[in-house]
Amino acid sequence: MDTVRHNLNPEQPQILHIDLNSCFATVEQQARPLLRGRPLAVTNRLTVNACIVAASYEAKSQGIKVGMRLSEGKELVPDLITIETDPPKYHYVYQQLVRIMKSYSPKTTMKSIDEGIIDFTGTRSHINTRPLTAIGYEIKKRLRDDVGSWMRCNIGIAPNRFLAKTAASLHKPDGLDIITHANLRKTLASLELTDLTGIAERNEARLNACGIYTSLQFLEASPKVLKNQVFKSVIGEDWHQRLRGWEVDDVEWDTKTIGRQFVMDDYWASEEKVRSRLAHLCESTGLKMRHKGLCARGLSVYIRYKSGDYWHSRKAFKSTFFTNGEIYRRATLLFNQHPRLDYIVELGVTAYLLEASRTNQVSILEDINREVWLTEAVDEINQRFGNYTVTFASSADAKGKIKQKIPFGSTRYFELLIQES
Amino acid sequence: MENNVTINKAVSVVAFYFKNAGHRLKCFPKRMEYDGRRVEFTETGLRHPVQKGKSLVHVFDMTDGTADYRLEFDAENLDWRLVSIADAQLA
Repeated sequence: MDTVRHNLNPEQPQILHIDLNSCFATVEQQARPLLRGRPLAVTNRLTVNACIVAASYEAKSQGIKVGMRLSEGKELVPDLITIETDPPKYHYVYQQLVRIMKSYSPKTTMKSIDEGIIDFTGTRSHINTRPLTAIGYEIKKRLRDDVGSWMRCNIGIAPNRFLAKTAASLHKPDGLDIITHANLRKTLASLELTDLTGIAERNEARLNACGIYTSLQFLEASPKVLKNQVFKSVIGEDWHQRLRGWEVDDVEWDTKTIGRQFVMDDYWASEEKVRSRLAHLCESTGLKMRHKGLCARGLSVYIRYKSGDYWHSRKAFKSTFFTNGEIYRRATLLFNQHPRLDYIVELGVTAYLLEASRTNQVSILEDINREVWLTEAVDEINQRFGNYTVTFASSADAKGKIKQKIPFGSTRYFELLIQES
Repeated sequence: MENNVTINKAVSVVAFYFKNAGHRLKCFPKRMEYDGRRVEFTETGLRHPVQKGKSLVHVFDMTDGTADYRLEFDAENLDWRLVSIADAQLA
């Protein structure tokens, strides 16, 4: 009755969400048995100002949070062990997880390095006839057998992606939970608004402003209120459907921008040093663009100064570009306009207005053809001997300083990252 | 930050063991001779491949119960290299 009244999705759950617990820290503890059971933090760089990107459960229980500075973490837990990220290890675990997931259904999607979704829709009648909980426990076992005994994962089963992710976060670590129309209200009653994926401080404030303080009140809110008063867009209707177990998140987004940022290794860097970092960022951006088979028409450069000031410039060009030389030339054009306010501490290059690359089209201009052929030849050498084997002479100094770090979110450039490592 | 000593020297792995992992039989080092002493591995941490240009290197994270060892096996030249030792007692 409740299901009908609230328009809940009455279907049997078909979505299984897998989330590796404290992924990088767990993988490090798997690799190094002597670190097991000890507070461990994984950072992208071993410097005091580095940000903690993953913490073991032992560290989390002592107050360490992801996003904290290493210096703060050390203050809180003096015996905190710190390790620098090691992408090939995580890539291996990622591959193993994908292999396990694909053995159940071809409809698998990796949401990030440490979480993925298996959509069992249409496979239950012949292949995966067992209950999804049995499959979930089998996945946990296979992960331990194939990767290592320390590996643990959370599994959530629900009718849509959002509720499956919510289920996966209910009992950490190593939990397995199901959310259906039957227990949806009970589950949501135990959750704060900010426990829901996508509801952070700002969205919570929006909801509070309309008198919605609990997850159950959020569930009971009408689509009209959510659309016209809370979110003031169609997003409100999406939330109404999402909370009820209807699928609204099964969409793939196109790549809109490609870029690279770098926090300077030297906060008192000379102009020459900054330009070498800029050249490297341009090479990295070009590499990503060609990896995706795209070219760009727009480019933007941003700078953050030591004083905290921020400057950026962007330009849409008439012609498209994808070679490192072209990106660097255009980035330099923008970079030269920056005011000399203070030392530069952060630098970024972003290409936008992306479209499919037309490298196979031979130009009538010989100079352009030469640059394309040169880029292709350099890419081939770098593919064989590792990225940045052949680089701009001006960026040679930056090569050892700027390391591609493990990405959060998308795994679009994982193959490139591994090639680089 | 952590007591991790880089060694990067060729070593002899004199004994191996085999384990079923991912429906395939995989080989792991059991005993290593390094610097005139014999190290008996008690547990395997992780074995993962690393692409270095076109060549493939298998990385083994092993422990003898007192320290963690990182070994690399070059699949092309068939030689073993001790990359680093991390001693948790001193961390």
